[in-house]
Amino acid sequence: MRHRRLMICADPRWLQAIALSLLLSACSGREETGPPVLNWYVFDEKSGAFRDAVRQCTARADGRYRIRITPLPADADQQREQLVRRLAVRDRDIDIVGMDVIWTAEFAQAGWILPWREAQAAEAIMGMLPAAVKSAVYQGRLWAVPFTTNAQLLWYRKDKVDRPATWDELIDAAEAFDVPGALQVQGQRYEGLTVFFISLLASAGGAVLDHDDTEVSLEPVPTRRALELLKRIGNSPAADPALSTAREDQSRLAFETGKPVFMVNYSYVWPSARQNAPAVAGQMGWMRWPAVVEGLPGRVTIGGINLGIGAYTRHAGMAFEAARCLASEPNQINAAQKGGLPPTIEALYRTPEVRARFPMADTLLATLQDAMQRPRTPFYYDLSLAISHTLHPLKDIDPDADAVRLREAVGRALKSEGLF
Amino acid sequence: MDNRQNRLEALLWSGFGLLVLGYALIPVLWILSLSLKWPADLNDRRLIPARISFDNYRAVFEDAQFPAALWNSFGIALLATGLSILLAMFAAYAIVRLRFAGKKLVLAGVLAISMFPPVSIIGPLFNLWRGIGLYDTWAGLIIPYMTFTLPLAIWTLSAFFREIPWDLDKAARVDGATPFQAFFHVIAPLAAPGVFTAAILVFIFAWNDFLFATSLTSTNDARTVPAAIAFFTGSSQFEQPTGSIAAASVVVTVPIIVIVLLFQRRIVAGLTAGAVKG
Amino acid sequence: MKARGNAERRLAWLLCAPAVTAMLLVTAYPILYAFWLSLFRYDLRFPQHRQFVGLDNYVSVLSSEIWWKSVVNTLIITAGSVAVELVLGMLLALLMFRATLGRRTIRTVILIPYGMITVVSALAWKFAFDPTTGFVNALLNLDNAWLTERWSAFFVIIFTEIWKTTPFMALLLLAGLTLIPRDLISAARVDGASAWQRFVHVTLPLMKPTIMVALLFRTLDAFRIFDTVYVQTRGAGNTETVSLVGYNVLIARLNLGLGSAVSVLIFIGVLIIALLFLKGFGTPLTRQQGE
Repeated sequence: MRHRRLMICADPRWLQAIALSLLLSACSGREETGPPVLNWYVFDEKSGAFRDAVRQCTARADGRYRIRITPLPADADQQREQLVRRLAVRDRDIDIVGMDVIWTAEFAQAGWILPWREAQAAEAIMGMLPAAVKSAVYQGRLWAVPFTTNAQLLWYRKDKVDRPATWDELIDAAEAFDVPGALQVQGQRYEGLTVFFISLLASAGGAVLDHDDTEVSLEPVPTRRALELLKRIGNSPAADPALSTAREDQSRLAFETGKPVFMVNYSYVWPSARQNAPAVAGQMGWMRWPAVVEGLPGRVTIGGINLGIGAYTRHAGMAFEAARCLASEPNQINAAQKGGLPPTIEALYRTPEVRARFPMADTLLATLQDAMQRPRTPFYYDLSLAISHTLHPLKDIDPDADAVRLREAVGRALKSEGLF
Repeated sequence: MDNRQNRLEALLWSGFGLLVLGYALIPVLWILSLSLKWPADLNDRRLIPARISFDNYRAVFEDAQFPAALWNSFGIALLATGLSILLAMFAAYAIVRLRFAGKKLVLAGVLAISMFPPVSIIGPLFNLWRGIGLYDTWAGLIIPYMTFTLPLAIWTLSAFFREIPWDLDKAARVDGATPFQAFFHVIAPLAAPGVFTAAILVFIFAWNDFLFATSLTSTNDARTVPAAIAFFTGSSQFEQPTGSIAAASVVVTVPIIVIVLLFQRRIVAGLTAGAVKG
Repeated sequence: MKARGNAERRLAWLLCAPAVTAMLLVTAYPILYAFWLSLFRYDLRFPQHRQFVGLDNYVSVLSSEIWWKSVVNTLIITAGSVAVELVLGMLLALLMFRATLGRRTIRTVILIPYGMITVVSALAWKFAFDPTTGFVNALLNLDNAWLTERWSAFFVIIFTEIWKTTPFMALLLLAGLTLIPRDLISAARVDGASAWQRFVHVTLPLMKPTIMVALLFRTLDAFRIFDTVYVQTRGAGNTETVSLVGYNVLIARLNLGLGSAVSVLIFIGVLIIALLFLKGFGTPLTRQQGE
């Protein structure tokens, strides 16, 4: 018995099998028959809205091509990590990319996506929110077609608090409750923290980079104001004890327990609350961000997914066509209704289908029309790390020292130097 | 009197046994419990679920990535184990049985590589693999796994080979067998238990790896379970899929528990052989 | 006789060649390549800007606050986990050595932590310590957000490491214990030495080689820690380790030049630790294996 087992190892055929399987796995080209398959890399949307879009556009292609979804992780940083590695190896299987708005400059500069031709571009973006379109433009060219968009609102308990006019009022009101976690914001060291800082900075009238997004701006007065607010929130008795690991979803779950009175978050919290905590949902109000400085309206950064075309695709022409189809009106309506993803086509905010799903449509639209871009530089990822790493945890912020550290870190990021 | 002392001792040892049992099993039971909870009960902070649901298990097997990752994990770990053991067998035989200049050098090299920090080579490997098309392939993971398990395998096998009655080998060679024949027909069968032990250890290493798996793969083509779990996709862009992660964790822990239960003695022998026996 | 020796040598090298080649190909060559890359400014996203910069990347890393913080963090985790593991492992080994009951069962179950995937055990403990889903707070009647503070996060990370690797340590030490000649211990007992004296003066010195080997391997292993920290904190709250810094620069930022400098520095760190062990304690490692 023993003897036989070992003989298998010594058998040359076994070796051959290993060698063969190694070879096969090393050069496995996807061989498939039938029309070309366009791979759409995008986060794994669970409601099925993206799969519906794929089905609809594959049908519309009438046998010329098929679209297939390759799912990416839920977290934007991890999506990027996966994509960037594949693009750096010049993966020819990436045809359409569901790109977070912040990747446009980086992917374009690296030559990983293809620009849209002018005529095509003009048609593709017709009727779309200017801020969403701007997020897909880099150096005067369109690099992707906006598909879904998003922006944070302030959510509050109508039965417990009034609508605050400023952030200071908001924090005062939250602290009056003497409940840890009465105010829910995102304080983990990740993109969400960068978003929080940039939005506060913009609301204070500042910006991270100057108008061409090539040099550090961070004007002293607004920067200080933003840092002071972050510090106050970080040390506030109303802050969540787990603030330094809080992301959007922790905030949502906390709000659904009914204890918090304010929350900064995206529109997906509304259907979720209606399902999981109807009592809370019944008292949930929404509004645009309050002001950071009196007289200046609160502004937030724009998010969402744009559809770009991979630079190494074998089927560029079809991919452009497919991307436009995926981002077309019926699919945006479906993504809004089924998946709760706000559309980029402005007129849709006035249709009954979308308004039924987004009762906050007017507030959301107003926020989006006034939304800011995060810095549109090829080094955005480095820059975002620089910001979130410098400011984390919020409670340890020292406005004077950190303004200097932040300026240095952002400067290094723009030169792709240094560790973060 | 004596009887009472015996009973006290038995009680003491049972208590100790239970303590160790709890130590080893609590995290396993905890993820099992999480994986069986209803989504609404996830936050009840209870060790034992109030109601049981198998939805999470259905979800992971319907997941777009997990089944593929499971297949990749098994395939890659098994192939890496086979290759590593094969090469290690040759080397260990030479080290134990043959006299040659440079043996010390080989041993020193083996030792050095067992201490080598994998993070130091993921960058270069990534760049090399992308140049020669090994990125995100089975071979791209099998090669580093093989390398990093060779020291362990050579070590363990050498220890086992030393225990083999080599006179049989000599006898075979006196009878006119070539060294190769002596190796394959006489020694190899005797070495089987050692080989098997080394194989288990190598398999556990490859099954466990996360750093290479996450750096050198990115899709269902080659991504293994540890990387897939770490990148699990939630049900919305901002959601944490705790239940599915727990279910997937249970699924990949079961084979390990089975291996451990079946081959306890071999694993212990293998783990301790290389390090202490002279 | 001479010819026989030659044939033997040829065969030996033939048998060793595949393993040696595989090991060199995947370690020596890449580390040299890493050193070469570390001399360039080389961001894979913008390869056209590649340019020779000499030792600039090393200056950049070594003058960075983050690098030194991560070195300190790594050493904290290493020292914390290895020290506790040694004590706990020794205790466990002594108990297992003397156990009269359920020895087999105990040996079997303590292999579960060893075999469990590190990512999975890290997740299990992360969920256990989580303030909203976990049972630890409920059990201890606490309201701690463990992974949000540096020291409590270190506690969770080190705890996870200890849980996972103490069994390995215990088994190694147990094997060492079984090698101690019984008569030495009984002789000491006859001489009237107490249990503690027997342990300190007889058992420990005899086990020194085993302990050193176990310590060396666990120290190097802990120094390379990546999985647990990646899963539990991703380095937030100042818990970043050197491996995590390397991974972030190399794989997330695709900055091969800078990242390779980090790689080479980590390699040197491991080298220093290994040399300190070998020199400082005179562990007869290779001799032990050589015979």
